Amino acid sequence: MNRVRKGDAGLVARQLYYEQLLFWKNPFRAVFTIGFSVIFLLLLAGSVGNSRSSLLGGLREVQYYVPGFAAYGVMSACFNTLAISLVVRRETGVLKRLRLSPLPTWVMVASTFLSSLVVSLLEVIVLLLVGRLAFSVTLPANFLAFVVAIVVGAVCFTAMGIAASTVIPNEEAAGPIVSIVFFVLLFLSGLWYALTPSSVLAKVAGYFPVRPMILATFAPFDRLPGTSPWAWHDIAVMAIWGAAGVVVSVRRFAWEPHRSG
Amino acid sequence: MRPAASSAVVVENLVKRYGGVAAVAGASFEVDAGEVFALLGPNGAGKTTTLEILEGFRRADGGRARVLGYDPANRSTARELRERIGVVLQELAVEPYLTVRQVLSRNASYYPNPRGVDDVLDIIGLAEKADSRVKTLSGGQMRRLDLGLGIVGNPELLFLDEPTTGFDPSARRDAWEVVRALSGGGSTVILTTHYMDEAEALAGRVAVIANGRIVAEGAPRSLGGREVGEATIRFRLPGEGSPAGGAGSAGGAGSAARVTLPAGLEAGAGRLDDGTVEIRTADAVSVLRSLTNWAHDEGVELHGLTVERMTLEDIYLRLTGYGSDGKMEGEA
Repeated sequence: MNRVRKGDAGLVARQLYYEQLLFWKNPFRAVFTIGFSVIFLLLLAGSVGNSRSSLLGGLREVQYYVPGFAAYGVMSACFNTLAISLVVRRETGVLKRLRLSPLPTWVMVASTFLSSLVVSLLEVIVLLLVGRLAFSVTLPANFLAFVVAIVVGAVCFTAMGIAASTVIPNEEAAGPIVSIVFFVLLFLSGLWYALTPSSVLAKVAGYFPVRPMILATFAPFDRLPGTSPWAWHDIAVMAIWGAAGVVVSVRRFAWEPHRSG
Repeated sequence: MRPAASSAVVVENLVKRYGGVAAVAGASFEVDAGEVFALLGPNGAGKTTTLEILEGFRRADGGRARVLGYDPANRSTARELRERIGVVLQELAVEPYLTVRQVLSRNASYYPNPRGVDDVLDIIGLAEKADSRVKTLSGGQMRRLDLGLGIVGNPELLFLDEPTTGFDPSARRDAWEVVRALSGGGSTVILTTHYMDEAEALAGRVAVIANGRIVAEGAPRSLGGREVGEATIRFRLPGEGSPAGGAGSAGGAGSAARVTLPAGLEAGAGRLDDGTVEIRTADAVSVLRSLTNWAHDEGVELHGLTVERMTLEDIYLRLTGYGSDGKMEGEA
């Protein structure tokens, strides 16, 4: 590995700036990532948001949808968008060019992660504002637990996003593969409708990282007395998936197009 | 710690295998600091693989490579090495939504002593497109941006992989000027190319690589014995299938003005389809002397008289196109 130098923090900051430029200057990416979660929230909350759910202990559905779509926003920014853009960058040769420059790999990874985190946080703030202003949803009662869930989730799904990019053969396949995996998991994980916690589906989904992300984001909101705002079990599941993502990424990451190799 | 380097690049018995096949099979060459060195060879000969090993992108299976004194495969010095080299490869994209200036500024920040961005824009002739997005560039402009990204770090050593493929003639001349300017500034340049005129115009020394090995190396004008090898003398004789306006009448067989060469010259002469006489000889001076003495004495005009050495392309085709390895090495 290349040693860290004085001034590398500035390099990360500059690289983060250009990553952000890239994100916001690509209108499709920006709209797709940020807009989708807001539209989903508005549609669902606007239709069934005010009905009270016994699964949520009598809370209004919208109180579940706001953290649910905040979780969705983090996952889509860190996993979907990142995995697809990494495959495109690899297949078009952008990564190879980067590899031949002196930019250290860790600076690239750090700035990519921070960029996904910035987008995630923005999305979360937008969703909280929409929830608060349009649907009078209460804000997280335990803000620290909420931030920890978001950050652990961002790390986990960034690692998973990089790992996913290494098994996707080319850019044409990237969108479909990522979307299928992601949306199937979202359905199984009860984003659109709360699952009965004791059901087989909920138990199975609990082994994958998506449901834990939704639950860990939901827990810090003001819920029933006697429930903890810290969903430690879910946070641990995400951490394990994140570690697996790191292992796969380190072992399989490729800088040059798969089609040329 | 920076190792001392007398040569910019040293390659000894470099080997790289893919599967069981050796893409590079014991290549050796050296490039001096400040030199422009061209690696010529057909597709699949091992040029790109050799370059990628030197750039530190691939690891060799055998042999030794030193680039500016560094082992390019050593990860702990990779950053230092890459701060001092520039690489221009084919078909590598640039993020389409950034402007030309943004891309150059960003990449400049990776290097300790970058060239000024405006300076680079002038050199590559993209000053007017500086604030346009990369995705609006034409193919030729994109290649110039490639070149710009290769030189923005102010490299001591620049690798150019077929830098002018797809350029129109004037764009090629411009690119050549850039390479000459860099070389004039003391940078070492290693380029691969398919174009013999490019190698001849730019390189002080060329090496021909075939089947993963260097089969010939030298200055373009002397490569493969070009200076001392055989020359071709061509001319037309009056009445011998001459073009319009020639001496022959429209008549049938054996025109009146037909001239025959003396036997000593005729023995080595061949005829092209248009009647041009062609003599290949290793001793052009003697043959020319007999020919011109004869023509002068007999009052015969030698239309279109030329003397040509083998072109670099002839040499290249001979070195890469035919025969077994052994034969090629024998010739080189």
